[in-house]
Amino acid sequence: MTTNRKGALLPAGGNLQQGILDFIKQALKQSAFDAVLMPSRVPAGDSFAYFLIQSEAVLGGATPLSPIMPVQGARVISSITRHGKGKNRIAVITRPCEARATIELSKLGQIDLENITVITMDCPGVMPMSDYFKDTGKGDRVFEDASQNWNSQPMRPLCQICDNFSSVGGEDLHIGIIGMESDGILLIPCSLKGENTLSKIGLSLGDNIADWEASVSKLTDERKKKRNQSNEGLRSDIRGIDRLLQAFSKCINCHNCMRVCPICYCRQCNFDSDKMKFSFDDYITRGEARNGLRIPTDMLLFHIGRMLHMSLSCVSCGMCEDACPMAIPVSQIFTLVGDKNQEAFDYILGRSVDEPLPLTTFEEEEFLEVEQSYAGVSPGQEGQDD
Amino acid sequence: MRESLPDRRARMTKVLSIDKSAEEGLKELLKFLLENGKVKGVIALRKMGEDGTISYSLITSPEDVGSTMPLFPLMPVNLAKQLSRLTLLESATEPIAVVMRPCELRAFIELVKRTQGSLENILFISSTCGGVYPLKMAVEGNIEESLPEYWKGLGKGELIPNTRLACQACQYFVPYTADITVSLLSNKEIDKETTLLLNTEKAEAIVEGISGKFSERDLDTAKIEQIRSKRKTEKEKLSDEPELKNLGIDDITKTFSRCIGCRNCSKVCPACYCHVCFFETETSQYEPVYYERELQKTGCVNMLSDTIYYHLVRLFHVSTSCTACGQCADACPADIPLWAISLKMGESVQKTFDYLPGKDIEEGLPITTFLPEEFAGVV
Repeated sequence: MTTNRKGALLPAGGNLQQGILDFIKQALKQSAFDAVLMPSRVPAGDSFAYFLIQSEAVLGGATPLSPIMPVQGARVISSITRHGKGKNRIAVITRPCEARATIELSKLGQIDLENITVITMDCPGVMPMSDYFKDTGKGDRVFEDASQNWNSQPMRPLCQICDNFSSVGGEDLHIGIIGMESDGILLIPCSLKGENTLSKIGLSLGDNIADWEASVSKLTDERKKKRNQSNEGLRSDIRGIDRLLQAFSKCINCHNCMRVCPICYCRQCNFDSDKMKFSFDDYITRGEARNGLRIPTDMLLFHIGRMLHMSLSCVSCGMCEDACPMAIPVSQIFTLVGDKNQEAFDYILGRSVDEPLPLTTFEEEEFLEVEQSYAGVSPGQEGQDD
Repeated sequence: MRESLPDRRARMTKVLSIDKSAEEGLKELLKFLLENGKVKGVIALRKMGEDGTISYSLITSPEDVGSTMPLFPLMPVNLAKQLSRLTLLESATEPIAVVMRPCELRAFIELVKRTQGSLENILFISSTCGGVYPLKMAVEGNIEESLPEYWKGLGKGELIPNTRLACQACQYFVPYTADITVSLLSNKEIDKETTLLLNTEKAEAIVEGISGKFSERDLDTAKIEQIRSKRKTEKEKLSDEPELKNLGIDDITKTFSRCIGCRNCSKVCPACYCHVCFFETETSQYEPVYYERELQKTGCVNMLSDTIYYHLVRLFHVSTSCTACGQCADACPADIPLWAISLKMGESVQKTFDYLPGKDIEEGLPITTFLPEEFAGVV
């Protein structure tokens, strides 16, 4: 984390969520933007949804820190701007993983960021929907308690190992709340848009973010360690095609992981297309060749295919796992692969809107070790297990 | 409901009895069919090698029959949807036998009526069905331990605890169009003897040469009616829950309030066969100006507001063909009691048209059948 960043402190009267709302209200009033997109409780009260809000009364009931993530925010932003930027300047209040997915989708041409101000906040995580829906009243209490203490134990498995819970770099403005209980919220601009937002409401920047940065970096280190441990543990469980098949064994091939994924944006997934429909004889031939053909067919091919398509952009939000009717640890598996792939390309998601996607960037000197071992130039590389 | 069709044959149904428990006896039949080249393949539930997960499988070798569990009380996917996929591009070119539950069979008949599959060359084996356990139980891995209770309940013709609510409320547990029906419900002998009703001439011909006892008898209608009335009572009890009772627009709004808009209910539904769902087409994607207008009207836009619209349209689209299998509810990540909503909607629409989906392949789809005398009161 860079240390030359500055922030503006806004008193919150002990209630950080209220502090965030007060800031948004002021910014709206000063026309820093025309509308704001953020989660709010649905009218029935038992769930949450993103609302595009202009009215101050509605804004009062919004919940920037909602206990669950029924829809990934990047998908919502994409549904508003996929066809172009629109007239309204919209501020989106998102979790860091949603902001990272938003930046990825803008690179993939699925979001127009021109009139969007991306605002992130330190994220305590979200609860698995199944836990929350069992008893929403209890869920609210559990979440409130856990989020105040930065206890990730009741959160999604991926939230528990998330080391990207704070500023992502590519957003416009970040709201620091970790370790800020008594002071208020810290508003940290990350772009010109962010700076303009703060100056519109007359906030000036100071050198007061060192304590917050220290809290962030402490938790980041803890989470990194946990993430590595979790990845290592999982790696041995899913290594090789047989164990991978076992990990996905209960899959009913509903493709819901793909439909709730912010990165899977294809209108028509290859695996739902006519390409994946075969003749009767083809099924029989495959059944004969393999001592039986599992139905639905091509289940593992779908997961591996999806992995190949999106793991370089996987933000580890945990949406897929939350929406899986068979409770398969999809997002943990995808995170393991995503982490490795992103590391190989030295690609940090969400760091910058301008950083190109690795697969669209050709670097002559890249992956020499792979090429050489294929060419037989580097015998030292051969036979390596990894 | 329309009167049942005149009996295809005047005499009683021919019955094949095999001296083994129902599941083992059925496996014996499947093995016989494969060994004697009477079918090229068999589709049935099977214990998968990797970790014992139960999944549907297409097998072609008699040796693989051993690992099948054709009567295992689980519906990982609705097989009608899969069978449609297998016979969509071309009919089965060689005979296969398929073991499926009555609601799956009815759903497949509906799909065939909608030209999404073909009956040709398929021998349908079904059973008098005691229901299946929810997918949740497969996730938790506690179905195996419930099996003794399940089989006991089957034999006694009782409601089996912890099965899908859709199953506990199901009235159509006797297959209508199966070539062979395994008699399970209220059959006290299921752990000793397999009773296979050979409903069609095709079935009678295909079992020729198998070792077993042949006789003639029908299902005990009095017992069937007893079970039906138990299920009916259960259905009324279940659909009397406050959130399901009236299903007016306010109740619907409340019931669907947890919906996350993933549309997984449609993806697992055998009646939802559209290649591209209307709600995934460009028509359902809005230009930014739409949001600007909405914002001007009310000062706020719920970005998940299309969910109720989606559910109502889906219900409207599937209501004549819904066989109340309950797959939608099991696959819902937000635990919405979709089974009850589909059941209620389906039942009332189907009653209006005097139509039971999947009962008879010859019966036209209500929406494509014009009857001059229909709905006189409305017109």
